[in-house]
Amino acid sequence: MNLFRNFAAGLRALARKARTGREMDEELGAYLEAAAREKERSGMSREEALRAARVEAGSLEAVKEEIRTAGWEAAAESFWQDLRYGWRGLRKNPGFTTVAVLTLALGIGANTAIFSLTYAVILKSLPVPNPGELVRYTFRESGVSDLSLSGPAYDALRKHETVDRDILAWGLADLAVQENGALTRARGALMTGNGFRVLELRPTLGRAFGDSDDVSGGGPNGYQALVGYEYWHEHFHEDTSVVGRSLNINGRAVTIIGVLPAGFEGLIAGQRTDIVLPLSFEEVTNAPNPQRHAAGNFWLTVMGRLEPGESVATAQANLKATNAVVREEADPNHQFLRGFFAPFQIGVESGRSGRSFLKVVYSRPLLILEILVGLLLLLCSANTALLVLARMSGRFREFAVRSALGAARGRLLRQGLTEVGLLAAAGLAGGIWLGWAAAQTVVAMLAGVGESPSLDVTPRVAILAFAAATTFLSALATGLWPALRASRVDPALDLKQGEALSSSKQLGTWIVPAQVAVSVTLLVAASLLGGTFLHLMLERSGFRTQGVVMADVDLSAAKLTGKERVQDVQQIVEALEKTPGVEAATVLSAPPIHNGWSAGHYFSLGRHGEVHTDMQTWPESVSPGYFRAMGTQILEGRALSRADQNGSAVCVLSASAAAYFFPNQDALGRFVYSGGSDSSKDGSDLDPKNACRVVGVAEDARFLSLRETAPRMIYSLAEGDDWGTFFDLAVRSSSTELGADALRHALHEVVPSAVPPTVFTFNELVEAHLQQERMLMMLSLCFAGIALLLTALGLYGVLARGVTLRTREIGVRLALGARQQDMFALVIRQGIRLVLIGGGVGLGVSLAATRLLHTLLFGVNATDPWMLLGIVVVLLLVAFPACYIPARRATRVDPMVALRYE
Amino acid sequence: MTDKPGPLVQGTLDMMVLKTLALEPMHGFGIGLRIEQISRGVFRVNPGSLFPAIRRLERAGWIKGEWRPTENNRRAKYYALTARGRKRLNAETAEWGRQTAALARILEGT
Repeated sequence: MNLFRNFAAGLRALARKARTGREMDEELGAYLEAAAREKERSGMSREEALRAARVEAGSLEAVKEEIRTAGWEAAAESFWQDLRYGWRGLRKNPGFTTVAVLTLALGIGANTAIFSLTYAVILKSLPVPNPGELVRYTFRESGVSDLSLSGPAYDALRKHETVDRDILAWGLADLAVQENGALTRARGALMTGNGFRVLELRPTLGRAFGDSDDVSGGGPNGYQALVGYEYWHEHFHEDTSVVGRSLNINGRAVTIIGVLPAGFEGLIAGQRTDIVLPLSFEEVTNAPNPQRHAAGNFWLTVMGRLEPGESVATAQANLKATNAVVREEADPNHQFLRGFFAPFQIGVESGRSGRSFLKVVYSRPLLILEILVGLLLLLCSANTALLVLARMSGRFREFAVRSALGAARGRLLRQGLTEVGLLAAAGLAGGIWLGWAAAQTVVAMLAGVGESPSLDVTPRVAILAFAAATTFLSALATGLWPALRASRVDPALDLKQGEALSSSKQLGTWIVPAQVAVSVTLLVAASLLGGTFLHLMLERSGFRTQGVVMADVDLSAAKLTGKERVQDVQQIVEALEKTPGVEAATVLSAPPIHNGWSAGHYFSLGRHGEVHTDMQTWPESVSPGYFRAMGTQILEGRALSRADQNGSAVCVLSASAAAYFFPNQDALGRFVYSGGSDSSKDGSDLDPKNACRVVGVAEDARFLSLRETAPRMIYSLAEGDDWGTFFDLAVRSSSTELGADALRHALHEVVPSAVPPTVFTFNELVEAHLQQERMLMMLSLCFAGIALLLTALGLYGVLARGVTLRTREIGVRLALGARQQDMFALVIRQGIRLVLIGGGVGLGVSLAATRLLHTLLFGVNATDPWMLLGIVVVLLLVAFPACYIPARRATRVDPMVALRYE
Repeated sequence: MTDKPGPLVQGTLDMMVLKTLALEPMHGFGIGLRIEQISRGVFRVNPGSLFPAIRRLERAGWIKGEWRPTENNRRAKYYALTARGRKRLNAETAEWGRQTAALARILEGT
């Protein structure tokens, strides 16, 4: 109430400023009159009385000022004055304003962009009530890889969790939807019937499914599904009558019972869900080999909610006790949870943001990027500070005059800060826009094969608040120091001198080296990340990717028997090989370097009976054309051939596998035995049925990932039903278009009912595989480039200003006989010294800091002398013009003019 | 009692102005004069602190100003206590009494 009254009165005073002023004058006049009259009464003459009254009251102007500044409106008014004054000043100096605003916008934009990504990838919560209560069950080895859970593990967990917690399971499934006669792919999710209850997720339209819908066959009314909001928008144009409609999914009629709320994209970040079905639908998507009860397939994301008073830590502690029981029940035959998975434990962690592979992969890169953009912002602020200071020191005389006329120090300080505030506000606006655009570009850079992850980076409150906070900090860093300096002007000194000689020189001696140091740090990061990317791209991977096209094939809708499918695959490969322009074609279980992983148990017998066993050999079933298609060289012996199909089993080993199974021996003609899943089978069991004869040795190929050493591979001809209904085809051809057409055509010819395959080139696959490295390289290069430019600008500014300030000194020296090249060298030396100091500090800091980068690097070394030398060269190249121009100016000083000046 | 007027105890000026106006509406000089007279010259209020205080009280709605002719045919702004101001004065007087009594006990006690 009081506050409001105060506010209203202030507004009134502002609105009727003239009248308020007049009334104040009149009131004070009346006061003086009354005072004088009082004095007259005690015997003074009128004149004396008036004078005495005036003396007693003091300066009337001061009194008026006192009254004026008592209310808040006075502060607002002076702020408004500062604002207008600052605006006029900035408009008169468009060059300064543009550079300062652009610099700030760059710094703020970069920070906003990276924060938008961090927010979208790491900080965003699932759009369900109380996401903080959600927990996710993990299956991991001491914090490293984080696997999903198998169906039996989920069942066991649900049974044995000591706390009375309802837990849901969520798995992904590719769906083939019949729409207007054509088959389209949709990203499906399968969720247990309790899922909606656990998540407290309410459909926007229609109803959710429940436990009674999550049974084989989908309950009395068949399978029920909900569609995602985006999918509803794109495919049904938000038609509300979609509820109740029947949809043909993977050949089954499914009833749509509802639409998911907008913003809910599923439990796995970046993987937008089109259609959600009960988990029991898995019997359709994985027919004829359902995986729901397979102990060796880890595909379910499992989540629950904390009970009141429970924390993630207590949930984790409770789970410890049941871990062994759950493992036992999930894998009673000890087939899968031993060996490789032995150290993996089931745990609990916060499920606030659901499951995020992006989070796992990008946490560290984003942290690195946050640090890099933080440094960049520091640099931008430093540059703007230099600019502002240069501008202010040009105005010291003005400040001195104002100070001499009675402007308070606080007022001068406030004025300086207001100007910087204006710059910062413009920088903020530009930065938010720039940041949004940059974040979208980066998301596009993250594009995988097919589609980019759905990351929403639209500015929202958290992001805007972050940008504003960033701006505030950088404005403070930018403006406070120069403004403080300006407000401390000494009228006596500065009026005479006009320029503050010492301060701007001193400033340059530490700001510029600091800038150089930051630039060097950014340069080191950029060259390490860029080198990593180049190494990964150019190093021999065991594949020749150029000209190779692949296709993800899904034959599940064709409803073939295993035998038919094998024949069909063979026919497709043969048809491909016959296509003109196709050099080679092959089938393979999954594309390489695509996060697929497989391991088998093999052993060999050495010449002296010694057994070499390996549980980690990667078996790959391929066509005879595989090696030519993928570009993997045969080092010894021969590749597989069609003729091998009819004889006894043969295989090709990768070089590392050959060296492992037959150390220091010739592998050709020897036998490798498959041990199956029984790890006890070793050496003693030389069943010829499990043996294959080595006919060739191929070079190592980095099948798992370009970042990892090549796994030991054993290639054999695909026979029988090795892949199920999902597999891949690859062709090498004269052009990728031709290859892609050939793939589509051959598949359609042989299996007309198949879903159109997803076709992509091997190069696209590599690009997607290296997207993290590419993004880091591009961004860090970008940051380093901006940093260098800013540093050069800063260096130039300081040196040029130095030359201007020292014009007279240079003139005197020249007049006393110094040569022009001495003056040139003087400036160059000063510049180079600043650069070298900063460069040294920067190198030291970055060498210490590269440990942070360590896990992201491949094939590069932070202490590589060539790289360091290169950085120094780049630095000097950039610094040279910044030093050269002011140095030239120093040589052109005419002693006569310089000495006459002032 | 010294020759020089003593400094005002912080925050008491507002209360004194309110008290002065409790008797009758008065203009700025009148208020200052009355305070000086009643305090027998201990407190002398110069316009530089008096008028900001008046402005403050007016803002708070405790006093109300009105232009009226003075005895010598000039206009002056006369201030009067509002109902809210009277309540405020009573509250402050009571509080002041409590505090000074406490202070006195402390000073006598030691």
